[in-house]
Amino acid sequence: MITKTGNIKIKTERLNLYYGNTHALKDITIKIRANAVTALIGPSGCGKSTFLKTLNRINDLVSSVRIEGGVYLDEKDIYAPGVDVTKLRRKVGMVFQQPNPFPMSIYDNIAYGPRIHGIKDRNSLDEIVESSLRDAGIWEEVESRLEGSALRLSGGQQQRLCIARALAVQPEVLLMDEPTSALDPAASLKTEELMRWLKKKYTVIVVTHNMQQAVRVSDETAFFLNGEMIEAGMTREIFSYPRDRRTRDYIDGRFG
Amino acid sequence: MVRKIKDGLILGTIYLAAFFSVVLLAGIIVYVCVKGIGSVRWSFLTTVSSVLKGTVGIAGNIVNTLYVIILTLVIVIPIGIGSAIWLNEYAGKSRSVRLVEFTTQTLAGIPSVIFGLFGMVFFGTTLGLGYSLLTGALTLTLMVLPLITRNTQEALRAVPDSYRYGAVCMGAAKWYMIRTVLLPSAMPGIVTGVILAVGRIVGESAALLFTAGSGYLLPGSGEGLFHKIMESGGTLAVQLYLSMSKAQYDTAFGIAVVLLCIVVIVNFLTGIFADKLNAALRK
Repeated sequence: MITKTGNIKIKTERLNLYYGNTHALKDITIKIRANAVTALIGPSGCGKSTFLKTLNRINDLVSSVRIEGGVYLDEKDIYAPGVDVTKLRRKVGMVFQQPNPFPMSIYDNIAYGPRIHGIKDRNSLDEIVESSLRDAGIWEEVESRLEGSALRLSGGQQQRLCIARALAVQPEVLLMDEPTSALDPAASLKTEELMRWLKKKYTVIVVTHNMQQAVRVSDETAFFLNGEMIEAGMTREIFSYPRDRRTRDYIDGRFG
Repeated sequence: MVRKIKDGLILGTIYLAAFFSVVLLAGIIVYVCVKGIGSVRWSFLTTVSSVLKGTVGIAGNIVNTLYVIILTLVIVIPIGIGSAIWLNEYAGKSRSVRLVEFTTQTLAGIPSVIFGLFGMVFFGTTLGLGYSLLTGALTLTLMVLPLITRNTQEALRAVPDSYRYGAVCMGAAKWYMIRTVLLPSAMPGIVTGVILAVGRIVGESAALLFTAGSGYLLPGSGEGLFHKIMESGGTLAVQLYLSMSKAQYDTAFGIAVVLLCIVVIVNFLTGIFADKLNAALRK
């Protein structure tokens, strides 16, 4: 398993997830390191996105979902009774495949999260907006039009805006569900650079279809297939010396 | 070649149809205005009809119309939007939801005179509200509720799920998400519903004749604004109907012009109000 130095931020133990009668995740046990980028790879429908969504309990919104096993954030079970989901989601931010800025100004998009959590003071908000946009590498591009609609930005800019929006509540973990698959190559590269930079402050978990991307951005990789986690480890090792035949076949492009 | 001719013919027909609908609408408005504008004098707008004084005026009816619009909207908007939010965001897909949806749709297709009958008996007699603006407004509430609910529901349905997920993923509680993201995004659809409702309210006579009645006096001085809602009062549409039945066509056309103006003004104000509301919701 993953044994490199660094603290474990998230771990799951024998995590099982069912959609009605479909067994979508089977006995997933994994440790995810803090301040690293972990890539989840695998063919469509393998459960990697579903797994990602268990980490901030966004699957709770789907009524037919049933979960067994444990998910631990800093050693605390996030599915334990009495856990405040709101606080959890503040700690575990998420960025989606399609950029989803709200139909508001750039400023209000970024200020949305802080406002939820009770920050109303204009000066504090100004500061958060600037630092979040800077962290997401988009400040220079939007500085002069913070009051303009976020929907008028390009796709790549919108995605970085959504990253900034997620950062504005000062999360500890950032979940990214195929964050570049709706972007053009140039915007994708920019977002990848950003991911590598973000791990200094955050724990980043990214679902990707794109194996080159996993190699470029991630420190560790987990390979999913049919709801099982086949193999996980250092990205270099997984891609150079996969232990499991199925991992090798997938990486070689024999299926996927 | 044949295809080109066919295309041309179809295109021509479509243009013609569009042309007709515009011309018809514009024609009606122009015709009403030309016929009615002569009656619309200052005294027509500011006095009430009186045989003794020899005046013909609709001031009382204008006031009644505004009362009925405001009263009905104040009652129907919270109920309509509330039930739409419940149906779309909380209720899930149970059988009871489909029943409520079916009921609202059916309600929308019932002829207004039946609402009038029900309103007169239920609100007027059973609840003892008599012939009053309140009875009329409550009756109209039933009538326009489906408009508000349906339009709000459709507008909420059109809001992409990604907005919902985006908000919830940052730790927003459900109601906070609805207030700050869903309702503002759905606002144009909600406004459409309100405008349609206003249209039905000001145009309605059958449902009001036997509920709000046909009083045309101004509120007495010294009586509070609320006193008026318990009194009988005919709206402009009711008065228009009564004038027509007495063959007073000048007055009828005059009322029609005023009605058109009120509709335009109210719709304009609704748009402005919605913008203000949106700004407040997002705070």
